[in-house]
Amino acid sequence: MTNLSLRGLTWHPYSRTEPTVLDLDLEIPAGQRVLLAGASGSGKSTVLRALAGLLDEEAGELTGSTPGPARPGERGLLLQNPVDALVAATVGREAAFGPENAALPREEIQARTTAALDAAMVDLPSGRAPLDASGGQQQRLALAGSLALDPSVLLLDEPTSMLDGDTAAAVRASILATAAGRTLVVAEHRLAPWLDHVDRLIVLGEQARIMADGPPHEIAAGLDHSPTVPVRPALLTQRDGEVIAALRGVAAERGGRPVLEDLDLELRGGELSVVTGPSGSGKTTLLRTLLGLTAPSAGSVERPSPEQVAFVPQNPAHSFVAASVREEVLASPWARDEQLADQLLERAGLSELGQANPHTLSGGEQRRLAIIAALAQDPRLLVLDEPTVGLDAARHLAVLELLDAARAEGCAVVAATHDPALIARSDVEHRLSGREAADGEADDSDEAGSTRPDRTIGPVPRARTIPADALNPLVLSLIGILAAIGSFAVQSWQGGLLALLPIVLLGPLAVRSFRGGLLRLTPILLSAAGLAWTTALLGDAPSLSGEAWLLGAKEAARITVFVAPGVLALGSVDPTALGDALGGRLRMPARMIAASVAGLVRAGHLGRQWEIITHARVLRGLGSRTSPRMLANATLALLVDALRGAQEQALAMDSRGFATATTRTWALPSRLRRADLLGVVIALGLAVWPLLAEVLVG
Amino acid sequence: MIRFRTVDLLVTVLIGAAFGVAFLGYGQLYTLIGPLTAAFKPAEGLLAGIWFLPAVLAALIVRKPGAALLAEMIAAVLSMLLGSQWGWGTAISGLMQGGGVELAFLAFRYRRFTLPVAVLGGMLSALLEWGWEKFAYYQEMSWTYSLVMLGFFLLSGALLCGVLGWAASRALAATGALDAMPAGRERAQRARAAAAAGRPAGSAGSAGPAGPAGPAGAPAEGMSRDDARA
Repeated sequence: MTNLSLRGLTWHPYSRTEPTVLDLDLEIPAGQRVLLAGASGSGKSTVLRALAGLLDEEAGELTGSTPGPARPGERGLLLQNPVDALVAATVGREAAFGPENAALPREEIQARTTAALDAAMVDLPSGRAPLDASGGQQQRLALAGSLALDPSVLLLDEPTSMLDGDTAAAVRASILATAAGRTLVVAEHRLAPWLDHVDRLIVLGEQARIMADGPPHEIAAGLDHSPTVPVRPALLTQRDGEVIAALRGVAAERGGRPVLEDLDLELRGGELSVVTGPSGSGKTTLLRTLLGLTAPSAGSVERPSPEQVAFVPQNPAHSFVAASVREEVLASPWARDEQLADQLLERAGLSELGQANPHTLSGGEQRRLAIIAALAQDPRLLVLDEPTVGLDAARHLAVLELLDAARAEGCAVVAATHDPALIARSDVEHRLSGREAADGEADDSDEAGSTRPDRTIGPVPRARTIPADALNPLVLSLIGILAAIGSFAVQSWQGGLLALLPIVLLGPLAVRSFRGGLLRLTPILLSAAGLAWTTALLGDAPSLSGEAWLLGAKEAARITVFVAPGVLALGSVDPTALGDALGGRLRMPARMIAASVAGLVRAGHLGRQWEIITHARVLRGLGSRTSPRMLANATLALLVDALRGAQEQALAMDSRGFATATTRTWALPSRLRRADLLGVVIALGLAVWPLLAEVLVG
Repeated sequence: MIRFRTVDLLVTVLIGAAFGVAFLGYGQLYTLIGPLTAAFKPAEGLLAGIWFLPAVLAALIVRKPGAALLAEMIAAVLSMLLGSQWGWGTAISGLMQGGGVELAFLAFRYRRFTLPVAVLGGMLSALLEWGWEKFAYYQEMSWTYSLVMLGFFLLSGALLCGVLGWAASRALAATGALDAMPAGRERAQRARAAAAAGRPAGSAGSAGPAGPAGPAGAPAEGMSRDDARA
């Protein structure tokens, strides 16, 4: 095991006016456990990236010596937001990603994956979707992803800051259990829980200057502790505010699963209410129901008119629409009071940044901006999703003060939160117990129970198996491609109709459910009808004559023959299996294929971000979800989110050996079986059938 | 061979994936011009350019050969997997659209990433896509109308893909989301030059003004500067 060492490190990102790390010398002997403290912006993250050997010389100027890892994956890196680290469609493939990059044989990949998932105490069976798991499970899974490469160093960047207290403690326990015999460097701003478990505490100041370095308890005692959050003196003895919004006997579902039942809730002016409860207990569903984004399945919802309701999403950047901070505050048509805007900017400490682009602000500044942009519309109801998550103490207090100000103005404030300080400050707490969610992770581990979950790496599970699933994605693709080529033989409407016959007969083999099949086929049939109309109208034959319509019918049949087999066959293709086939079997460039799969797997996640982004805009009164301006603006916000995520994800992937993975293995073989032979026959049949059909109809 | 850093690959892929998702919300745009297209289907060509946006954005942001094609193919494959009504035709469209933009930047040997090249890229994509659609979908449309449709395609490619894509790349650079990319570096360098000249760095945001900085010596006080995400 080697020591970690940085000598004379200066790092000046091209995007900054000043270096973020200036002339840093740091030696960490092998096996030492180090806690890295310091304010947000002091360069903790950069130091961890430098220790991981992941500072990118295309993105900044690097001087000094930063010896990199001896082998890919030797230094594991965990990020603050585990979502950024995830690359795969299943838990098993997620943990297998590093070993795949290291081009290990399949048995070894399975063995490593099993051991890593066990060590990190991941409670999910290997077929689960990582992006749907709770934050705690995701962070453990990210840990397992690092452990699978048997790192000698673990570098952790605020690994628990996005998690609630209990979950954070459990993740911390997993980390400490796996850190035995390894070098450990943890960056954190909540120091206390780590002090007993580390050998050394280093406090960084501006530009990663070492302000203090030594025995943890000693150094921590010498620190002027960050401002403590004062608890609001007395709870209201009588609730005299006017009821501004209420849920009465509300039940609501999420994804067809009931999450809220017979819920009563009153939100009064001048009160801060918090909605608490474990992950999956329905906090988000409650907020959505309150905002009118989810219709309750029973009961009634009262809320003020839209211009009197304001919403701040968990990621404040999701609500941003303007190019400058000041314009952002005034962006909503319901926020036109410039004087109020300036006051709010002052109160949030953002006056100096009035001309800055909102997206360039720090996390804490963004949060405050989103809140004052909501307050600028002088709402009677302010709804916030996790308004304090991931903030350090100073940032945290500033947010609480803004909420106090809103409450003092007579606004009803309601926040979904895990934050004890925010809960302590609230007037009313509505605790959702969740359905059998007592352990905080119930929606994840319900199948697992107390036994060890299944660790076998398998294909992405499907709700219901259909015959087409037996075929390799390459063969399913071949069916679509050859059928499309064959369709050009259609010359007459009679031939076209006959050419449709095998598609009608084979179609049911590729349809998972009647409704799903209908969903896939309707757009095709609409397009075909559109093409028939266009051809009848704009063809060479006299417009809309009988002859023109027959030509149109032929075109409709031809286009259906062209697209339908492909669309139906693609219903059985998932990105992971396609990647295995293209990378593992066709030997296409491994990094491109693996990165593409990682991107495609995120489609569902991006879809959820898109929902939040468009809803946040609608709630700000910025137009309907179909206006071109809104779509353009929402697309930009989604791109900002995706591109920032891409940069974090690249780091996480490189720490798992992806940078050099030009020859990698694929955890699952892309088999060609006997059924695939039949598939090829079908593909060939579909290619020649339209020609035969033409001959038959003469 | 030009090496793609991991971040280049992921930025390219995620541009494609983000558009693949956003495109699902774009269907509504067609209802806006519905009255026009009901009478004259080729008018749909007016919106064609938006489908080439992933290609031009990837080219402008990543600036490496193949980025445009890869981003457009990801968007195409994603819509295919989600059930696009054009099936495998979508993959060919992706090839044409990504390829058109790629050709424009290739013509300038991947050295110019300016508005005119983006516009040219949008128009080349439009030309190739029109050719494919004429062949695959509109065989029976008369040549007169087909050429009118080509006009709409070219216009749309120039404006909705070229101009809009270029503007979007500038807007993205201003958010700081591209700081690790060549396209973001230009903005950053301008901001640095501005800061060096003593002006506030404007869009460089918290990277510029030092904020209400406390005494740099005291660790607990040093917290007064927020973390700007790099």
